[in-house]
Amino acid sequence: MARLAATLRYEEVEVGAELPELVIDLTPTLIISTAIASRDYQDVHHDRDLAQQRGSKDIFMNILSSNGFVGRYVSDWAGPEALIRKVSIRLGAPNYPNDQMRMTGVVESKQLADGHGLLELSVRGRNGLGDHVSGKVSLALPRDGMER
Amino acid sequence: MGNEAGTLDERLQAFVAKSRPHVGPPARDPVNQPMIRHWCDAIRDTNPVYTDEEAAAQSVHGGIVAPPTMLQAWTMRGLEPKPAEPEQAAAPQADGPTALLHEAGYTSVVATDCEQEYKRYLRPGDLLTVEGELESISGEKRTALGQGYFVTTRSTYLDQDGEVVAEMRFRILWFKPPQRSSGGG
Repeated sequence: MARLAATLRYEEVEVGAELPELVIDLTPTLIISTAIASRDYQDVHHDRDLAQQRGSKDIFMNILSSNGFVGRYVSDWAGPEALIRKVSIRLGAPNYPNDQMRMTGVVESKQLADGHGLLELSVRGRNGLGDHVSGKVSLALPRDGMER
Repeated sequence: MGNEAGTLDERLQAFVAKSRPHVGPPARDPVNQPMIRHWCDAIRDTNPVYTDEEAAAQSVHGGIVAPPTMLQAWTMRGLEPKPAEPEQAAAPQADGPTALLHEAGYTSVVATDCEQEYKRYLRPGDLLTVEGELESISGEKRTALGQGYFVTTRSTYLDQDGEVVAEMRFRILWFKPPQRSSGGG
């Protein structure tokens, strides 16, 4: 019988808490497989020659995947029943292959709204060139004593 | 084809001024477990509510749900040929700002911003359509990639019952790729 891991409770999260760093190895396979999994067949995400003709030094991660890693990062930390409400991201330095993206995050604020425990997180993913992604995530967490 | 008069900026702003919501065709496939699994494998997202039926059934969702950040994948064209103009499947949408920018030499594109709000988690069987609207086009900007224009769109994702399940604002940069003196491009 599959057991569901625990999800953080709203009451146990403190503003200012830092999420543990997550390091993503940016292999060519990762960049291409995530683009294809998001059904994004733009050549710059899988064909180095064409990416270079278009002014890029190599293929690079697509934004749908950057969004996906942000979503994964916060739910890895918060647990399987955290509910992602909003994700807003801005991209900077491209995620080229053979680099790493180091993801960090901070709990910026928390509030109760309509009985839900809501967190606002800021999240960054830095690679060797600088900030690849920076953004905010709104997350709803279960509350103490709340029946699922 | 409309009136061709005016500067590039004026012609781009004319598109914004007359932009109205446009409803795309329904997603090719409903939300489904194989595509969710493929995504989770690639992103290495092991949250069991996406892929483990038993665990998902015990969860607050009561069953399998799709990762919210996978939203756009459900309605991406992928390699599906365009129905009306198969020979131009790779060409930008004719008669739109994209075509104008392309003609003017802004032929490379990167996405720069994405804001998504999820009204509910999607479940296998949900069939999405997108209502999209051009929101704004910037003036010409100097960026690290070259000269370019930022194009911002808003999208509303609807399910099979016409209920709004998500909203998105998306910004892309069309830019002129740097000239390569070696030629052969």
